[in-house]
Amino acid sequence: MAEREKSEKFVVPIGPQHPALKEPGHFEFTVDGEVVTNATARLGFVHRGMEKGAESRTWTQDLYLMERVCGICSHVHAMAFVLGVEKLANVQAPPRAQAIRELVAELERIHSHMLWLGVAAHEGGFDTLFMFSWRDRETVMDLLETISGNRVNYSANVLGGVKVDINDRQKDELLRGMDFLEERTQHYLKVVTEDDTFLGRTRNIGVMSFDEATLLGAIGPTGRASGVLRDVRVDSPYAGYPDFPVNIVTATAGDLEARFVVRIKELFESYRLVREIVEKIPPGDLTTKIPRRIPEGETVSRVEAPRGELFYFIKSNGTDKPERVKVRTPSLCNWASVLTTAIGHKLADMPMILAGIDPCFSCNDRMVVLKEPDGQSVWDWEKLRQYGIEYYK
Amino acid sequence: MNTQEALGKAEEILADLVISAAHPEENRLDVVIDPANLKTAVKRLLVDNRWGYLSAITGLDNPEYEVDEVTREKIASEGKGSLEALYHFAAGAAITTLRIALPYDKPEIESICDLVPAATLYEREAMELLGIIFTGTPNTDHLILPDSWPEGVYPLRKTFKGLHDKAQG
Repeated sequence: MAEREKSEKFVVPIGPQHPALKEPGHFEFTVDGEVVTNATARLGFVHRGMEKGAESRTWTQDLYLMERVCGICSHVHAMAFVLGVEKLANVQAPPRAQAIRELVAELERIHSHMLWLGVAAHEGGFDTLFMFSWRDRETVMDLLETISGNRVNYSANVLGGVKVDINDRQKDELLRGMDFLEERTQHYLKVVTEDDTFLGRTRNIGVMSFDEATLLGAIGPTGRASGVLRDVRVDSPYAGYPDFPVNIVTATAGDLEARFVVRIKELFESYRLVREIVEKIPPGDLTTKIPRRIPEGETVSRVEAPRGELFYFIKSNGTDKPERVKVRTPSLCNWASVLTTAIGHKLADMPMILAGIDPCFSCNDRMVVLKEPDGQSVWDWEKLRQYGIEYYK
Repeated sequence: MNTQEALGKAEEILADLVISAAHPEENRLDVVIDPANLKTAVKRLLVDNRWGYLSAITGLDNPEYEVDEVTREKIASEGKGSLEALYHFAAGAAITTLRIALPYDKPEIESICDLVPAATLYEREAMELLGIIFTGTPNTDHLILPDSWPEGVYPLRKTFKGLHDKAQG
């Protein structure tokens, strides 16, 4: 941004400590009175250098590293990575494994969308909805724990398949859970489309037209709320999606309300898929053998994360470690849409507009650098551990 | 339009710019083009023909390796080999990748931000992490690295082994 422009206008810095969300990002809004006239973003506060780190770890270690790119949508990262590696190794995971991958991915989408519903409601000052949706989200968290043993970072994938199976008891629990959530979600859909005070914060706010959304490259529910028909699950089905297809959910209004409606309707679609998979899951093996050294080659692996298209470019040099792993997360695409739609709105609407794309900071940022009194250097693990012990003494 | 038709159309659109083309996977078309033709290619794909959208820009470092005789470790040799910028476009399941090789001594390429505003974040990322220079890109501030990060140090280059080593020379 030009220095001159900065000096003549009033700039409101927001962040980096938890602007609207419980994650770090820094924004500078240039305002004219109450109205925002320009917006810029500064990310990287939780950058951890994972792409670099991946190059010095084996394919198996990378699976666990990639699962930790994001704490909310961890499974899709692992899934994009294993699907890419399996393509390079020319290995097909068994059908039952593919169905379980889809099952966990949809459960993850349910938990992610409900988490977002709560956060966005909280930003809109509607804490009752926040508390209720997070209470109900526990249902799906419990289901994920029942299946994988973990609430987050489920580690369901291995190279060549999955390591979790579902038995009859878990199937019953899944079906009961879906019935409960479906009933609750009907209620939430009613609330976000009928509650007057809440509509005052969402209807016609942060409007992004179809043309803008296309031009800015908006993806996922943010794009679909503006009528952009992009969903990797539909366009290029992967894992279990060819056998258990998904119907695309879109809206045309392009405002915050539409983003609420699209995400909530996607929940119903996820419930349907979970039920279908539980009823028709194919029998068979969970894993297939995969070589330790992956043949030379390059591949592109795309999956639909809860926030939109997740893009992996993986290059192998024929050894047991990748040459390059490039991760492009959906949040990165959607920032452009926020910074543009922010202009012309009141400053008070910013938290809602920021939350509207369901941004995920740890997805964008993957590196840590510590400052020492004598300058800057990278700490090794032992030093970091000692620092932690001293700090909390 | 199915995947094969889409790829065929992309190949047709780019036909006269292609240095070499390959189909590394069923749904992919890789096209090597000259850096000077990048904007023309992007304009033809996205603006003139509305072929999909820009999905990502991947920066690659392809150095020549030397093998250390004692440790058998591969060491990237400075200045040999090249950087590479990959522009991935997706239309449904079809992916067209424009590949552009860039020499280390002049890794310059024109920014496509005036055609695709959303490219700014991808360009800033490649700029910081690999040192690819996008001429005419609207914003050159740091996006993810700290403001105090030393200039000319690019963490995703294969020769980068950590700031500590660099500081000690």
